[in-house]
Amino acid sequence: MKGPSPLYGLMAEFDDVSSLVLAAERAYGEGYRCLDAYSPFPIEQLHEALGSHHTRLPLIVLIGGLCGCLGGYALQYWSSALAYPLNIGGKPLHSWPAFIPVTFECTILAAALSAVLGMLALNGLPMPYHPVFNVPRFALASRNRFFLCIEAIDPKFDVEATRRFLETLNPREVNTVAD
Amino acid sequence: MADSLQPVEDPSRAAAIRTPAVIAPGHTFGTVTDKISAIVLARKTPLGWYAGFGTAMFFTLLLLVSLTYLVLTGIGIWGNNIPIGWAFDITNFVWWIGIGHAGTLISAILLLLKQTWRTSINRFAEAMTLFAVACAAVFPVFHTGRPWLAYWLVPYPNTMNLWPQFRSPLIWDVFAVSTYATVSLLFWFVGLIPDLATLRDRSQSPVGRVIYGMLAMGWRGSAHHWHRYETAYLLLAGLATPLVVSVHTVVSFDFAVSIVPGWHTTIFPPYFVAGAIYSGFAMVLTLAIPIRAVYNLEDFITMRHLQNMAKVMLVTGLIVAYGYLTEAFIAWYSADRYEGFVPLNRMIGPYAFAYWALIFCNVVVPQALWLKRVRTSVPVLFIISLIVNVGMWLERFVIIVTSLHRDYLPSSWGLYSPTFWDWSTFVGTIGLFLSLLFLFLRFLPMISIFEMRTILPEARVGE
Amino acid sequence: MTSLTNTADAAIPELAGHQRRLLIAGGVGAAVSLAGLFFDVRQFLQSYLMAYMLCLGVTLGCLALGMVHQLSGGAWGVVIRRPIGAAARVLPVMTLLFLPIAFGMNRLYGWTNADLVAHDEALQHKHLYLNTPFFLVRAAVYFLVWNGLSYFLNAWSLEQDRTAEPRLARRMQRLSGGGLLAYGLTITFASFDWLMSLEPHWFSTIYGVLIVGGQGLSALAFLTAALVWLSRRPPLNRIVVPAHFHDLGNLMLAFVMLWAYFSFSQYLIIWSGNLPVEISWYLHRLQTGWRAVGLTLILFHFSAPFVVLLSRRAKREPDLLVKVAIGILIVRLIDLFWLIAPEFHQNGIFVSWLDVVLPLTLGSIWLACFIRQLRGRPLLPVHDPEFESALGRIIERGAPPRTAH
Repeated sequence: MKGPSPLYGLMAEFDDVSSLVLAAERAYGEGYRCLDAYSPFPIEQLHEALGSHHTRLPLIVLIGGLCGCLGGYALQYWSSALAYPLNIGGKPLHSWPAFIPVTFECTILAAALSAVLGMLALNGLPMPYHPVFNVPRFALASRNRFFLCIEAIDPKFDVEATRRFLETLNPREVNTVAD
Repeated sequence: MADSLQPVEDPSRAAAIRTPAVIAPGHTFGTVTDKISAIVLARKTPLGWYAGFGTAMFFTLLLLVSLTYLVLTGIGIWGNNIPIGWAFDITNFVWWIGIGHAGTLISAILLLLKQTWRTSINRFAEAMTLFAVACAAVFPVFHTGRPWLAYWLVPYPNTMNLWPQFRSPLIWDVFAVSTYATVSLLFWFVGLIPDLATLRDRSQSPVGRVIYGMLAMGWRGSAHHWHRYETAYLLLAGLATPLVVSVHTVVSFDFAVSIVPGWHTTIFPPYFVAGAIYSGFAMVLTLAIPIRAVYNLEDFITMRHLQNMAKVMLVTGLIVAYGYLTEAFIAWYSADRYEGFVPLNRMIGPYAFAYWALIFCNVVVPQALWLKRVRTSVPVLFIISLIVNVGMWLERFVIIVTSLHRDYLPSSWGLYSPTFWDWSTFVGTIGLFLSLLFLFLRFLPMISIFEMRTILPEARVGE
Repeated sequence: MTSLTNTADAAIPELAGHQRRLLIAGGVGAAVSLAGLFFDVRQFLQSYLMAYMLCLGVTLGCLALGMVHQLSGGAWGVVIRRPIGAAARVLPVMTLLFLPIAFGMNRLYGWTNADLVAHDEALQHKHLYLNTPFFLVRAAVYFLVWNGLSYFLNAWSLEQDRTAEPRLARRMQRLSGGGLLAYGLTITFASFDWLMSLEPHWFSTIYGVLIVGGQGLSALAFLTAALVWLSRRPPLNRIVVPAHFHDLGNLMLAFVMLWAYFSFSQYLIIWSGNLPVEISWYLHRLQTGWRAVGLTLILFHFSAPFVVLLSRRAKREPDLLVKVAIGILIVRLIDLFWLIAPEFHQNGIFVSWLDVVLPLTLGSIWLACFIRQLRGRPLLPVHDPEFESALGRIIERGAPPRTAH
């Protein structure tokens, strides 16, 4: 009882970096907005070609770091000066120089955790299933092939017209991506 | 790339100025991927691997026996006792932590400095960091005597109203080392994600596909993902760089904030950090040279890598020597009789052999690295790296034991000699380190595949 | 390509005028501060030492950065190679300017006073090192080493411009390796001699490292300011892109953090040990009016530049970056003030008019000499082996507009 599976999009496969970047630029210039490119390594120009803007990640890391910094200092102030005051070596209860190392470590820890978790969250990972994996040749996206996928939800998407457009970009082949 | 200053890595140019390239010519995305992943995905494990892993496991078992006996008996089985309360345990702790630092340095600082030669060595250097930190952690935890209560070091609300003393450098250590372990793990894992996806897509066995697939978390190489990924990776590098400095700084504070002559000196933080990088690079060389020979990775770990690491060793070795010099000069200049006694006691006291051996290993031998002939000879580099590993261990031994055994009060002077269990625990951690390393070599790509792709000429747009 | 090999004088004609004006300013300043010499010799020498150490820091910092770049390479260094060389060539003038310190050392350094030494066991012990002849011999050795390094590096670089001989690059690299080692050792002992021995009882093993870090930061701040100025004029306006400023900004950030790291490490270790001979150095700085200077340093030598330089935008915006660089040069002076002045005014903060006039005077003279050295040579090292890989693409394409991010 296999009906025609709903369509996720159309995917073109390319042999080299430059063709993919060019294709992405052309597709964006053509007015497609719901599209993504896949490559086996990061390509700086690709991200610009797809017209996306700066990521919020640095801000997340900054906030994370500040929380770690304040939290680390507060933990020490509270436990050494308020909750459990002890005279150690005649030093004042609130000894800021001695609190710097732990404050620093907490800052780094919180910032690093925010960087990794923030990156995963913004990327929507972990994601066990994604339609692009339905294309058998997509396994090469992690080896030496480059893919451009125009998604069916794009307002300009039309199976025939989009396929014709993709064919003009000199791809190796164009595949339909089942959802 | 509009205004990036990334230098162009051009093989023909590299040949013209007579520096070896960071990757042998003739490789493509496909060959790089296949060659590195084949080591992991090979169905048959080489016999040599079993032999190596077996030997390493033997010493790991020795570690387990030593630790079991320690827990059953108490730390009296070690040779340290008042006045030498710290000896092999802390020496080994500092040595292992220091070794770990080269991993972070290669992955973080060299990334920020845009040094492309880091690419083929960063992965296993990072793995080395993790395993070294694991070995380091064994010592303080078991030196507490009651390791099952080691969690008391962590501040948490409890009915005993028990809080760590935040003015003790030992609690700074807890924070520094655990942060270091966590961030190194994150850094390593984030770097692995795209390669895990490669293994997922290339693995022939269903089990491998499932395991690598779960670890890859559904990575698909989307351009949007890559952008955030790179940002996160750079930010992590930016965070890991001051972190690695802070970790060995905190380790040096363990000694320097006391008033023990020979420990209480302000040069300790930068000098410990340089020493850590020094020993770490020595360890990377010690491991990289046999690995590249056994797995035929000369195309990826080229002479350029070995030479550059030799240069880093030379520089950090000179900084360490500078530390010895200022320490000795200021000890005299201070006009303090206890301070002045320390270098004399090191040079002609009961541990003079250790001091002179350390000077030979850390200061004299590495001067050979000034010569290009030495830097380009693989066997000589291997021997020098081993000598530096020994020298840096001796350095910590000398700092710790000679400072403690004769401090202010001659009536409480003493001597230390290691017992069998001191040695067996130390050798055991080397076994643990190597066992973990063998497992890593077999099951994960030891060279970052996706980063190797980026340094190939065909990765450039518009050419 | 031809215009790249023109001398700076031909490319930027107004340099001569700036040199003249700075020299006049320096002359006026010198005349005014000489008046101060008659009122209070000690105060004059103390302020002079501070101003001198700042100028020397920029000079030697540039020399050291130049040697580091010879060894490490990197696009950041190619565009500032010529300002680096010009700054290093001010060394002969800096050698002459050391004379007032050599002649005034009896009034600057307590350990030159035989009566004081006779009643102090510690100073008698140190007399082997801290005595007038040896002090002068050491100073002569330091200047010999520094002038020698600067002379050969600059001479070979000039030859490289003329002959494009590739072997010269290797020769410069080889000298830089040993040169950095020599610089590290000489500057350490120079900082012990000229600064640390102002309080002859006190000692700190990190002191030399702290001074090295400070010199590196001073030099980077100066070079950043110089590059911003040059990037608005030919020929560098076609070459310099935001990424160059970004690299320099990152280096400044690294040195700001290093300085804070060294300073804090020294403070924490001495504070924790709390030994009388060590802590006294901090006591008369932190429990008197000098405390305000200490707080200023924390805020403006670390916090403010750190926060600003974290931002990517700030590092790529030359108008903002130049303000940070000049600010850093000012706090470098305050840091030297903090190291020197409290030894002379132990009871509380004291700022003399000479503390302002002398840095301006020496600064003007230094800058005039720098411009003089800059004028004679091209502003880019076109025969540097790295030139092509670092700037080739930018020159071919023409630099993009500098506002682009």
